[in-house]
This record gives sequence, C-alpha cells and structure tokens, in this order.
Amino acid sequence: MPDFSPRDNKLALKVVFYGPALSGKTTNLMQLHSLLNPERKGELMVLETRDDRTLFFDMLPIGLRGSSGLDLRLKLYTVPGQVQHDSTRKAVLSRADGVVFVADSQANQQENNATAFGNLEENLEKVGLDIDTLPMVVQFNKRDLPGVVEENELQERWAQTPWSPLVMATALHGDGVIDTFRILLDRLYAAADAEFRLEADHDISRQQFVERLSRNSENEAPRAEF
Amino acid sequence: MLNFEDDPTLADLLNSDQLVRLNDCLAALCTEPVTLGSTRPDTHAIPVEFNLETVAWLSGGRDDQERQAAAGLVSFLMMFIAKYRLAANLHHDTTEASYAELQRQNEALRASEARYRELSDQLQQRVDEQVGVIHKTQQALYESARLRSVGQLAAGVAHEINNPIGFISSNLRVARDYVKEMQTMLPDTSDNQELATDFTDLLNESIEGAGRIADIVSDLKTFSSIDQADYTRCNINALLTSAIHLVQTEYDHQLHIMEQPSELPDISGHPSRLSQTFFNLLDNAAQAIRSEENSRDNGRILVKTLEQDGAIQVIIQDNGCGIPEANRSRVFDAFYSSRPVGSGTGLGLTVAQDTVRAHGGRLQLHSREDTGTRVTLTLPIN
Repeated sequence: MPDFSPRDNKLALKVVFYGPALSGKTTNLMQLHSLLNPERKGELMVLETRDDRTLFFDMLPIGLRGSSGLDLRLKLYTVPGQVQHDSTRKAVLSRADGVVFVADSQANQQENNATAFGNLEENLEKVGLDIDTLPMVVQFNKRDLPGVVEENELQERWAQTPWSPLVMATALHGDGVIDTFRILLDRLYAAADAEFRLEADHDISRQQFVERLSRNSENEAPRAEF
Repeated sequence: MLNFEDDPTLADLLNSDQLVRLNDCLAALCTEPVTLGSTRPDTHAIPVEFNLETVAWLSGGRDDQERQAAAGLVSFLMMFIAKYRLAANLHHDTTEASYAELQRQNEALRASEARYRELSDQLQQRVDEQVGVIHKTQQALYESARLRSVGQLAAGVAHEINNPIGFISSNLRVARDYVKEMQTMLPDTSDNQELATDFTDLLNESIEGAGRIADIVSDLKTFSSIDQADYTRCNINALLTSAIHLVQTEYDHQLHIMEQPSELPDISGHPSRLSQTFFNLLDNAAQAIRSEENSRDNGRILVKTLEQDGAIQVIIQDNGCGIPEANRSRVFDAFYSSRPVGSGTGLGLTVAQDTVRAHGGRLQLHSREDTGTRVTLTLPIN
C-alpha cells in the first residue's frame, strides 16, 4: 500500500526487487544507485553479510518534489533470494506498490526461477496483494553468460502473461537496468495516479514521473519505448 | 508498533545518553560547542538529512562551514546506525511473524491431535460395541444350535413314540370295551361294581393321557418340520375358518369367536404349518379368555384379515387375561409355557413365529395384563 500522509504532503511508494537466489537483485540496485541521478537520492543501504549474500535486504530511497510541494519518495528494496529467508521476504514484500522480478537467464536456473515466481505469487497472496493487478516487470538477467536460454524462447514462453514483453539485462554491466526501472515506473504511475491524482492535484504527468525519477547520470537517451 | 521501514526519528536512532555523548564528541572537534536536536532551535541551525528525511537539526559551532562539516559527519554516522536499526527491526518483525506462525501451527496441531484422540476413542467404543455384538451373536448361535439339536432329538423321540402311542391308545379303548363286557358277566356285588367302575376310570384317564401324548408328539413333529410338504397356493381365510372349527371342537363350541374376513389373494405358503400356527394362536386366545373364570361369558376372540401395503394381515385378538410384562420377553422361547405342567408344550408361539418367518412375514404381539392380547401376523403377497 502506498504510504501517503496528507499532513506532510508526503507520498512514499515501495518497489521490491524479487527473484531467485543470486539472480542479481542487489546488483540491479547498486547499478541504479550509481547510474540514476534523480532530484533526490539517498544512501544505498546494503546490509552486507559474508559471501555477499543478502541476509536482510538492501534499500535505496529516491524522490522528487511536485509543484504542489508533494514530497514523493520511492523506496527500492531487494529481498534475500535464498529459500530459508521466506519470512524476511514476506515482511519486505508487504505493502509493496510494485515488483521487479529478476530472473536468471542461465538454462540450468529455469527451475529456480519458476520456484521463486511461485513463491512470489504465494507471498503476495499472503500479504493481501494481487499479482494480476500489481505493477510488475520481469527481467531476465545475466545475458552476458554462456548457456543462457534464447531470448525468443523466453519471450514466447511469457507471451501470454501480463508481463510480456520481458526485459533482457546484464546488470553487472548496467545493461537493461534502467530500462527495467523505467517500464516499472510507467506501470507504477498508472496505479499511483489513479489513487493520488498525481497529474490533477500535483501536476506530475506520466512522462515527468518516469523522466524525473529515472534521470540518468550519463544523460544517455532512454532506450525503452512507451 | 513501529514498522521496520518507517522513517526513523532521532530518538529512534540515538537514546539520550548516546546523544549527549555525540554532542560532546562534536563539541570537542569544533571550535565552538555544537548541539544536535530533533527540533530547529534557530535560523542558523542546519538540517541533518538521512535518506531524504531530516532527522535532526544541528546548531552552535563557529560558522556555517563548521556546522556543515559536523552535519556531514553526523549523516555518515546515521547511516550505520540506521542500517543496524533496520536490520534489528526487520529481524524482530520476522521473528515475531515466525513465532506467530509457529503458534498457529502448534494450535492447528493440537486441534488435529485432539480430533484424532477423539476418533481413536470413538473407534475403541465402536470396537467394543462390535465385540459385544459378536458375543451376542455367538451366544444366539450356540442357543440355536442347542435348540436345533433338541429339536432333532424331539423329532426322533416323537417319531419313535408315535407308533407305540398309537397302539397303546387303540388297545386302551379295546380294553375299556372289554371291561364293560366283563362288568356284565361279574356277580353283581357292590365290591365288583366298584372295582369295575374304578377300572373303567383308570382306563379313561390312561386314554386321555395317551391322547395328550399324541398331541405333544404331533406338535413336536410340526415344530421340527418332519412332514414338510411343498409350498402351494393358500387361501388364508379358508385356513383360518378350519382352524376356528378345530378350536371350537376342542372347546365344545363354547367360544365366542367373531370373524371379520376381507377378500384376500391366495399366497404361496405351507398350508399345514399355517393351519397349525392359526390353531396355536386361537388356542392361546381361548386359554386366555377361559382362565378368567369370573367373566367367562364376556370372553371374546376377534379374527380379522385385511390386505395392506402388499401384504396380508391376520389379527387375532382376545379380551382375556393378557400376558404379564415379566413373561412377555420369554413367550417366543421354545418350551416356555405359563400353563400348568402337562397342559402345554411351550411350543405354540415358537412354532407360530418360525412359520411366519419362514413365509417372509413377521409376527407382532401386543398384550396388556387383564385387558387382552393382540397378535398381528403380516404375510407378504407373492
């Protein structure tokens, strides 16, 4: 659920990076931290543990101010992918406004992807969210590795789902990370605008929302089409 | 409760002792003392931001530059404090959620255990009940086997007795005739007359006794189905009429029997056994109204037949002495009789019930002491 406090004119939206263990969720977030240059950007909170595995979560806050003075914040979270941290995943997932599902493109990881996706479905239901209406993007990461499943095959496999087309990424090199994020922002805007009248009350259009929150440090032209 | 993802306030991040210590450290670094507080004390104070949120205001210091430097240091420190807080709060949340989940599972487990315990108890109870039924059935089986052997024995005995009792009866009658003839030949003294009369009485009693033995043998033969003939089509009303005649003969036509027959279809049955059954029931009724000596003339027997629900009903009802409740459960037992020894075999109702069952029907008996007895025979039409 979005967290809106009218007194402070503050709206906080929550985006969760979900996916199987070692699929690159934290890498996505670290790339966003270094590539994004939005109006307001907080510290990347990485709770490091041994072996670079996420134990709790990572968090990156970014934000912008609307002409009405609206303090709009986006908190980006990752969840621990390892199976045993399910209760942490559930706690982080609760009240999410959007989800980025980071899948592993390697052929031998497809089963893990499916398991994690099933887990996402299950946990969303448990925290009272509906996977069919929640703004969500599915990213297939690690495209640079040998032995990945062909993009055509993946796109075809997901063609009948609401999350088609998939986004291909190599988060380690920053490829596709911002594209993924922009598609998510676009879908998130529809939901947030419907509830909080971003355009009508705060003069924040869809394009502004996406552009201002995904402003790129290298100023490269956005590749994703809307 | 504070959610782990809520933005922390200064008090969440540092307790008052820690805040004092931090202020001391900052004051030692700066040329003028600086103060960190959650509210803005003056216009010179500058915000300390953490994750887009102003968590504190920094005031004091020599100039803006010093305040900026101190604020930067505090922000840097805040990040690590907040990190720890986030992890600790999340850990707390998830642990609590896990514990709640465990408790739920424990509760469910407990409920399921209770259910299984109950089931197991019920199962034990059922097993006990079934064992009881098996015991009862075994007992009944044993009883019926015993009765069958008694019946076979009785049938054998009856068969063996039938011939001798035949010639004893006939010889006794011939002997009585002889005594009558001899009586005329004897010198007519009072002693002789008395002797001859006594002799005749003795023979009469013996004839009567032999007759009773013949009756018992006949009952036993019916009971043990010795002369079992094939089933034929029976007219129940006709059988009843002849049974009524037999009983009237037995009681010198003194019985008040009302007949209310309805039109009935013929049914498949064993005529002699059905006749015997009707006779036994009528005989019982006659005995019941006769034993009530004072109201002897009021005794009535009602015989009624009707067709109902694809079956024939025969009702034989009397207003006699009835059956005492204590005896009611035993009336169908073989060889049970309430009559004086020698006047009944105790097989009448037993034979009746067996016969009705063999015809796929049932026999119901309603009785109240001093009011009367009603026997209802239900025979299927087939």
